[in-house]
Amino acid sequence: MMKYLSLIIILAGAYLAVPLQFGGNDYVIGIVVSALTIAGIAVAWAMLGNLGGMISFGHSAFFGVGAYGSALLAMNAGLPVFPSILAGGVIAGVVSILTMPTLRLRGPYFALAMLAFAEIFRILAIEMRWLTNGSGGLLSIPRLPTVFGFDFGSRLGGYFVVLTLVLLTVFVYWLIRNRPEGLALRAMHDSEDATLVVGVNATRLKAAVLVVSAFLTGIMGAFNAHYINFLEPDYAFNGSWTTLAIVAAIFGGYKTLWGPVAGALIVYLVDQFVFKAIMPSGHQLILGGLLAAIVIFSPSGLLPWLASRFRKEAGDAAHP
Amino acid sequence: MFDLVAQSVFSGLLAGAYYALIALGLALVFGTMRIINLAHGELVLLAGYIAYTAESRFGLDPLAALPAAIIIVALTSVIIYLLLTRIRVDREINSLILTFGIAIMLTNGILMIWSADIRSTTSGWYLDSIIIGDTLFAMNTEILFAVIGVLVVGAVWWWLSKSWYGRALRAVSSNRDAAKLMGIDPRTTEILSFAVAGLLASIAGIALYSGKVIEPSLGHSLTIKAFIITVLAGLGSVPGVLIGAVLIGVAESLTATLWSSALQGLVSMLLFLIVLLVMPSGLFGRTRRRG
Amino acid sequence: MLLTLDHVTVAFGGLVAVSDVSFSVSEHEVLGLVGPNGAGKTTLFNAISGLVRPSKGKMTFCGHDLTGIPIHKRARIGIGRAFQVPQPMHELTVRENLIVAQHFGTGHSNPGKIDEILDLTRLGHKANRDAASSLALTEQKALEVGKALATNPRMLMLDEVLAGLETNGKRAFMQTLDDARQRFGVALLMVEHDIETISNTCQRVLVLNFGKLIADGSPEEVFRNPEVIRSYTGGETA
Ligand SMILES: Nc1ncnc2c1ncn2[C@@H]1O[C@H](COP(=O)(O)OP(=O)(O)O)[C@@H](O)[C@H]1O
Ligand SMILES: [Mg+2]
Repeated sequence: MMKYLSLIIILAGAYLAVPLQFGGNDYVIGIVVSALTIAGIAVAWAMLGNLGGMISFGHSAFFGVGAYGSALLAMNAGLPVFPSILAGGVIAGVVSILTMPTLRLRGPYFALAMLAFAEIFRILAIEMRWLTNGSGGLLSIPRLPTVFGFDFGSRLGGYFVVLTLVLLTVFVYWLIRNRPEGLALRAMHDSEDATLVVGVNATRLKAAVLVVSAFLTGIMGAFNAHYINFLEPDYAFNGSWTTLAIVAAIFGGYKTLWGPVAGALIVYLVDQFVFKAIMPSGHQLILGGLLAAIVIFSPSGLLPWLASRFRKEAGDAAHP
Repeated sequence: MFDLVAQSVFSGLLAGAYYALIALGLALVFGTMRIINLAHGELVLLAGYIAYTAESRFGLDPLAALPAAIIIVALTSVIIYLLLTRIRVDREINSLILTFGIAIMLTNGILMIWSADIRSTTSGWYLDSIIIGDTLFAMNTEILFAVIGVLVVGAVWWWLSKSWYGRALRAVSSNRDAAKLMGIDPRTTEILSFAVAGLLASIAGIALYSGKVIEPSLGHSLTIKAFIITVLAGLGSVPGVLIGAVLIGVAESLTATLWSSALQGLVSMLLFLIVLLVMPSGLFGRTRRRG
Repeated sequence: MLLTLDHVTVAFGGLVAVSDVSFSVSEHEVLGLVGPNGAGKTTLFNAISGLVRPSKGKMTFCGHDLTGIPIHKRARIGIGRAFQVPQPMHELTVRENLIVAQHFGTGHSNPGKIDEILDLTRLGHKANRDAASSLALTEQKALEVGKALATNPRMLMLDEVLAGLETNGKRAFMQTLDDARQRFGVALLMVEHDIETISNTCQRVLVLNFGKLIADGSPEEVFRNPEVIRSYTGGETA
């Protein structure tokens, strides 16, 4: 009951209070949109991390592929923007099949192999000039359309779109998590033999979750392309898409449903509004420190930590 | 054409010995503790910036900055180790994330102290070129650090296989508990390996500064290069590091000559992926008892 | 025949853990597998469930040659396994453990059967609350059996599931197993050290010693066999 109530409050706040309060301030809304974009990647990343047990350092590849895929389809094939965002996600999902051989690698090797893939995609985006216009980048990518008189191409319109995309991403994650496949995936890392002997095909499930994660990351990339209307390889394939998502997910708690979202909002907004004001260059130093501190002091992240504090307080109150 | 290829192979060999310097510290820690220090490239870069400061502020030769670089970088490396020992759960993945966080801190720290401008040495001698056997060109710095690279690889190899500390380190890495019973303190030897990794990073950083340009964001790609070489080398093999490094150096150099310099990076990434993926899982996997 | 092993050998490097073993299990049979520690019983189970690969020999189950069948497909054809060291899916609840086993082991979902298993294994009161890793050892053992049952096995391999239980616990657990057999009609292949339990429940007993099958027959015959007695007194008391 409490759960549904808080969900409704959060949704109302996100769809009503934020636009009413900040709707006129493009600067603030712009930063919130970036935070939500990172939240979306962070959720998709955490899905692979939590369900697949695989920490990827290469999600910028899927972000970039989704961005370029959607932009090119809209520009060259004249696809309307919303369908082409979906197609961008599909392309990222298909491309992730190329990375599937890495699934047989263990933890750190998987992480770094994905990093190598991300680097390869970045170089390809620069080199395949006939398709991507290389370092010159893509200009005037079609913006989000006006529907029923509401301009989704505005900052505020972008906010509603990215907010909805993030919520859908969380919803997909939630659906998968509670299906037997999701349960089996969660069980797989520390109970591998137990899942094998009851018939779980670990390889196939991991591959599936990789595709879904890549698809969702690609969608965020595709949205971003149409939101900023401009792409270049060093932007779309920038490693910081991965870095920020990892910091956000680990900080919020990558094994929880909402941790990555909370982490992205807190980390990115505080970074932009506070740290950046205090020290204009090198403010990400604090993010690095935060990541290190979380790993040392509360490896399961902020939300689980808060939950345990809360439970403890409640317990203390009950037995004074 | 032949001259071009010969020159390219020669440059690749020199680059390889320099790459070995960059990779050796990472390979040492990885080989003995199975920890991938994602801040290793930043340590190398830090030493490079110390050399820059020594040169630009105090008018010293980059090489003269070595003692100061060793002290600062080795200390930083040991601090990283001490932080790593605080990890309680999921050591393998969390050590990766922790060192990743430290790498972000170092990159931004360097950015704050030295700004985003690119820097390179002003000592002309390093960048002067010499001609060997009428046809082959090289910069003094390339020759110097190639020689140093080979010597250092030899020294580390000797240290690990022949000296008491080296053997203690290997004992700890193969069986921590057994080593304890033999009276070896694992912490001491592990601290030592991080300190030595810092020392090696310092030498590499000076080589970097005296031959290339440096900028704060460079650390990441240095780490990746070091890790690629470590994987090519095979777990914990010191001579393997030199071979892997030379392989990468020559492959990159030939790609640039025969194809396009933009594709250099692609070649080392592909080599890396191929080695990772065809590697028998036995090398990295654990064999465990089941049932 | 349900299961047939034909000259099966499993070696770890130089160590031959299972040596040239042949036997078969028929539908609905209750078969004991005994032998001192290190005799190769668990390894034999691993070979049948696919966790280790035999170096020689052939295994068939329900007419399927097991050689080419990967581990995860063996549950589907009816091989169930309860591990000696319980391996719950730690992060999941008891019910979720059973849901996963049923979904992947049978290909469809049947909540009624899960309730039945919860009831049978006396885990109903713990089904939805805590992670399986917080269960007591006896409960984890019950869950081992429950997971295996949820896959609709035709044969259930039980690796020392009674070890560590006191007499009453043993009796209750045996009752559970017997109920399961009545209800689901599975054959049981059970490793057990307690000779009395084996004699009371099994129609047939296999004895393994140093990886070799040294006896195969009714409990009365087998436990009178001098070689079997020697293997027990010479080896561990267990
Ligand atoms: N994965 C393994 N690697 C090497 N040796 C093993 C492995 N598993 C079992 N063994 C060895 O095989 C023999 C049989 O062990 P096991 O099957 O566990 O015996 P039991 O279950 O009858 O007590 C023992 O000597 C054991 O040490
Ligand atoms: Mg056993």
